[in-house]
Amino acid sequence: MKKKYGVTLLASIWVFIFLIPLLGALYTALRTDNAISSGPFVWEFDSSFSHFKNAMGAAGYDFANFFKNSIIISIGTVFLTIFISFPASYAIVRLGFGGPWLLRLALALRITPAIFFVIPFYKLFTAYNLIDSPIALILADSFINMTLALLVFSGAINELPLEIEEAAAVDGASIWLTLRNIVLPLLGPGMAAVGVLTFLFSWSDYLFAVVLTSSEATPVTVGAANFVTSYGVRWGDISAAVCLSVLPPLVFATAAQKYLVKGLSSGAVKG
Amino acid sequence: MSVTFNKERKVAGWLLSAPLLLMLAALLIWPVYLGVKTSFTHDVLSEFATYGAGFENYKNLIHQPNFWLSLRFTLLYAFIATVAEVILGFALALLFDRVFPGKRVLFSLMLVPIMIAPSLMAVMYRLILNENIGIIPGFLQRIGINFSIFDQHNVFASLIVLDLLEFTAFTFLLSYSALQNMPSEIYEAAAIDGANARQVLTRVVLPMLKPAIAIIFLLRILDSIRTFDSVFILTGGGPGTTTQTVGIYIYKTAFIYGDFGLAASAAVVLVLLLAPFMPSIIKQFNLNQGGGK
Repeated sequence: MKKKYGVTLLASIWVFIFLIPLLGALYTALRTDNAISSGPFVWEFDSSFSHFKNAMGAAGYDFANFFKNSIIISIGTVFLTIFISFPASYAIVRLGFGGPWLLRLALALRITPAIFFVIPFYKLFTAYNLIDSPIALILADSFINMTLALLVFSGAINELPLEIEEAAAVDGASIWLTLRNIVLPLLGPGMAAVGVLTFLFSWSDYLFAVVLTSSEATPVTVGAANFVTSYGVRWGDISAAVCLSVLPPLVFATAAQKYLVKGLSSGAVKG
Repeated sequence: MSVTFNKERKVAGWLLSAPLLLMLAALLIWPVYLGVKTSFTHDVLSEFATYGAGFENYKNLIHQPNFWLSLRFTLLYAFIATVAEVILGFALALLFDRVFPGKRVLFSLMLVPIMIAPSLMAVMYRLILNENIGIIPGFLQRIGINFSIFDQHNVFASLIVLDLLEFTAFTFLLSYSALQNMPSEIYEAAAIDGANARQVLTRVVLPMLKPAIAIIFLLRILDSIRTFDSVFILTGGGPGTTTQTVGIYIYKTAFIYGDFGLAASAAVVLVLLLAPFMPSIIKQFNLNQGGGK
């Protein structure tokens, strides 16, 4: 038994090391400005939580707006990605649509660096007047997440027993009915995996956000990074803003941890 | 039944794939065309006219030392970081591959870095590494170490360590999943044969997990090659251009210096350099997905 606590201790040390950045930000956000400027180890608890209040709008930052944008973009991307990938995965796996080529294309895309698409997307969305609109980021993020979603969905559909669908077909159910009443309800876990991964990755996007937005549609990632340069001395407010920014994906992904693990490993290693 | 059934399947296939096909047409085929076309165009923001320029951008690119330096930096950075992350991730997965008190909570906490956007992580790094208020320089000073983290000589190592802290969670998770998929009979058989823990690891576990580790390595290095957010926010590619990734080079060429043509040609070259690896990677994935079904 003694040995087992050794494992706990070793694992805790590594967890602590990995969490230093987050704990550091939280530590700074909870201290008073006075303590922050006096040195890194001066502790004076800011019981009024003024940095969090400032970040949420009291100090006139746009942060609340960035936050709203991130939520709109991430949720929009989740829905669009599922709408694109789920029916297509069924067509590819069960109806043999596109042979093996559509999935191969998806894999090739997974490998292509997103930076390649930055310039054409910028030109395309400028031409259609979508720069600095959440729609541009929803489209770009859905495009990037689509490949992982196709892999997760086609893997999940492949694992469903074919007999149920065959029985439904024999009973005269159309492909539509089978899809809606039989496949869809069985695909809950796959749906959850795609949902949590897509939410996480679109919330995390920085590259497309920095190119395709300027002020109106800016999400938290770009907003927080700009904070550092524009309000360089207000470390307390920046820390609070960053802590708030990581909260939604952290809560969501922790709640759906099982699906996160399943999705990430089925997109990579068969799990 | 079969004639109408087949026809229905065909129609359904097209209808169900329609959103995907539209997406591919609008955001893959058209942008690829635009990107390649831009790379053959003289397209500089400060000049009004854009015109076809043949291979002008590609010829210029060859003579841009910054492009080649950024390529070298990217590959070196990606390779070293990936090797370190695969090893550390696997070692931690081995540590977690047993029952111990507090495992559930610690496992969840191990995954936290995956849930934090790299750009937000970079902002936190800037906070804890800040010379005046950061806890890390403060701590180093206290124990009497004089170490300048983003100094020209240290910046490469610092970035690797930061990358390691951020992305090991990913290699850890995938290694752990792979270990969990090992059938327990194998351990039992090895134990009956009298193998000790080290022999089980080097002669049974590692050889069996070779394909999984290869995929984890591939996934991670491909993601590393695209590194943009964290390095851009931490160093902006500096000091000078010493930590400029290809992503940062392309971004700056287009959106800071306004030369879209040159940036597009760099992006095309990057994809062409990665293209030879695609078929083998696709094959690897398909094997793992039980593909061909």
